[in-house]
Amino acid sequence: MQIQVRLFATYREIVGSRGFTWSSRDGLSLRELVDGVVAKYPRLAGHRDTMLLAVNHDLAASDRILQDGDEVALLPPVSGGAG
Amino acid sequence: MIEVRRARIDLEAVVDSVRRDDAGAIVLFLGTVRSDERVKALDYEVYRPMAIKSLTALGERAKDKFGLTDLSIVHRLGRVPVGGDSVAIACAAVHRAEAFAACAWVMDEVKRIVPIWKTEIADRPDRIRRRR
Repeated sequence: MQIQVRLFATYREIVGSRGFTWSSRDGLSLRELVDGVVAKYPRLAGHRDTMLLAVNHDLAASDRILQDGDEVALLPPVSGGAG
Repeated sequence: MIEVRRARIDLEAVVDSVRRDDAGAIVLFLGTVRSDERVKALDYEVYRPMAIKSLTALGERAKDKFGLTDLSIVHRLGRVPVGGDSVAIACAAVHRAEAFAACAWVMDEVKRIVPIWKTEIADRPDRIRRRR
């Protein structure tokens, strides 16, 4: 199956891309996907503890089983607004 | 009105979007880009589909929690210069206390859960850094 991975802010800069397609076996969990992405881009490892994860635009727990075509976003801590 | 936009925020349109005859108070909060150590602008990056979903859900929660008659949230995307408005939140309620409380709560939640990130744009390229 194929998962669309989206990256933002610091993570986008570390990886040098806004995202990519990740091919894997069926039944992959979100945690396993992140493990794979971090293994490929080790500079993300230090951000693992504060990383938020979203699947199809909703925050998701790392034991979530992914489906073909899912959009996974790796989100740094947010900082919108001002003041 | 829930919106993420590149263009300047039309404050009158934001206020008008929550005007209703049963509201006795409208509170408008503006988050503005403050000058700081040679910062000339902030650049906002937004995960738009998730941000719209999150802002919409947040608006509904605020209406329930504070009994608002209406609410609008508009956030900028891209570069906003020092002094510019980066976010506008308008809360309308029957009485002012609820409208003030709701505006403060909504802004805290925007900073906590909506996928928006900002980067400081300095007057020298080597000074660019993220702001929390």
